[in-house]
Amino acid sequence: MFAILKRRLFKNWLMILGWGLGLGVLAYYLFDIYDTFFERDVNLQQIFSAFPEEILAFFGAEGVDLFSPGGFLHLEFFSYLPIVLGIMVITSAASLITKSEEDGSLEIILAQPVSRSGLFWARTFALILSVGLVLVITWGGAALGLEMHDFDITQGQLIKPFVSLFSVLMFFLCLALLLSMVMPSSGSASLTAGFLLVASYFISSLANIDENLQGVDRFSPLKYYQGGEAVAGYNAQNLLLLFGLAALFLLLAWFFFITRDMRFGGSGGLRLVFRRKEE
Amino acid sequence: MVKTALQLEGVHKNYGKVHALRGINLQVRQGEIFGFLGPNGAGKTTTIRCMLDLIRPNQGSIRVLGIDPQTSPQAVKSQVGYLPGDLALEGDFTPREFFKYIRRLRKNLRPWEDLLQLAERLDLDVEKKIQTLSQGNKQKVGLVQAFISRVPVLMLDEPTLGLDPLMKQEVLNIILEESEQGATVFFSSHILSEVQKIADRVGIIRKGRLVEIAQTDDLINRALTRASVQFKAPIGQSAFTGLHHVKVLRINDDQRAYTLEIRGEMDEFIKKLAEFPVREISIHRPSLEEVFLNYYQDDGGEV
Repeated sequence: MFAILKRRLFKNWLMILGWGLGLGVLAYYLFDIYDTFFERDVNLQQIFSAFPEEILAFFGAEGVDLFSPGGFLHLEFFSYLPIVLGIMVITSAASLITKSEEDGSLEIILAQPVSRSGLFWARTFALILSVGLVLVITWGGAALGLEMHDFDITQGQLIKPFVSLFSVLMFFLCLALLLSMVMPSSGSASLTAGFLLVASYFISSLANIDENLQGVDRFSPLKYYQGGEAVAGYNAQNLLLLFGLAALFLLLAWFFFITRDMRFGGSGGLRLVFRRKEE
Repeated sequence: MVKTALQLEGVHKNYGKVHALRGINLQVRQGEIFGFLGPNGAGKTTTIRCMLDLIRPNQGSIRVLGIDPQTSPQAVKSQVGYLPGDLALEGDFTPREFFKYIRRLRKNLRPWEDLLQLAERLDLDVEKKIQTLSQGNKQKVGLVQAFISRVPVLMLDEPTLGLDPLMKQEVLNIILEESEQGATVFFSSHILSEVQKIADRVGIIRKGRLVEIAQTDDLINRALTRASVQFKAPIGQSAFTGLHHVKVLRINDDQRAYTLEIRGEMDEFIKKLAEFPVREISIHRPSLEEVFLNYYQDDGGEV
């Protein structure tokens, strides 16, 4: 299975470098901006207080101390990363296996003495590893920025928001993978998971100012995402919940993949999985 | 005793309301070349995919070299070289890289040089990206891939699809060589002349049912033969009445030239002809194509 894992990693190298370096450079410059941010502390406080709270909530600034290191990192970086990287992760996960079923290239691979489980786990680990590498490179940029600037957190604390981000990305990665196994196509799985991500972002952002949304917010994955606030310490329950659900989705996706027919030309999906008994 | 390489018993496969296979019963002996004939959508590819556990039958049992593909798919696949009918390859590989990748997934490999020789024999450039290759060249990549391991069974779904006539012949030669070395070859095709050239036995599938399995020669011999006979003198039409296997299709006005159709053995017909002064006779043996078409024309050509 190592050959499949290696092959997928090789296919992802552009994605890893592109996203990793791009975000790494951005993370580095955050620390430059922070100095300016602080210098204009008073002015900015006035500006922010002039914004409607809906706008602040939308940008993840509501209820966050923007002038603390964690609050600053959250507002400027970690508040939108679940959306930016989430879309990439969802697209990659939804097409991880089903896309190559749909284009027919999986048939020749599965005709080799390769178990479906082996193929599933090799490709999934390759994607998880790729996402992990993107975060590691990004963290590298941030760590370099932290080293070069006077910022009131340690390198150890800096890792924590990345772990929180990884947990939410794993949640959406595994959700998209599961949806791709039960929905008719990789496109529909990607669309559904993407919709859930965006909806979750809006709900969790606006729930801070709208009490009516707080009930729904309990079911929003991003409610359990700490982002920059994690520099002050992990919320272990949130992490466990996100990683736990991700593991559950992953096991279900694996189960569906090993028990269903291979799809040819986009066939199968929800209908096939649940109609097997009738046939 | 001849061993069985492939065995299917009562195999059914449905896709929702579509019955792709309706009780396929089939045995292929070790070492034989079995041609699996049928038009598009008849169930050829579905049968092969079931044998490789890419899809699972709703009913029935399958054994490949005595192994159940559903319980031991990897064991089956390690014994089979497979060329898919709807061949799709990852385009960012060159053929060389692709073969190396597949080699890492398999055991009992042929020497790398043999593989390159095979590629050369098929006139395949192994250094170009697959996405830049023509359909015929992609087919060659698929073919070489099927020969990466030394396997006792080859399943080739439309192996000559997209190839030029010279290459088609080369592929048939390669299949024959593999067979001579003991491999069982199960190949599907709707190009009947190819099947006729190399297959020991033929199975004809129609609407998911196997309507005929026979030795290729037997199948042709059993089929209708057309004879044109020119007599030296007029003979009456009644001359051929009473011959159960002979049907008069056309008689010239002067009753000297007859066109007849003979089903099966010719013996009775020849003996009858001997009673009359024959000037000229020509016998047209049907090709497998004509035999095949007969199976489909019986149902108004519907498949």
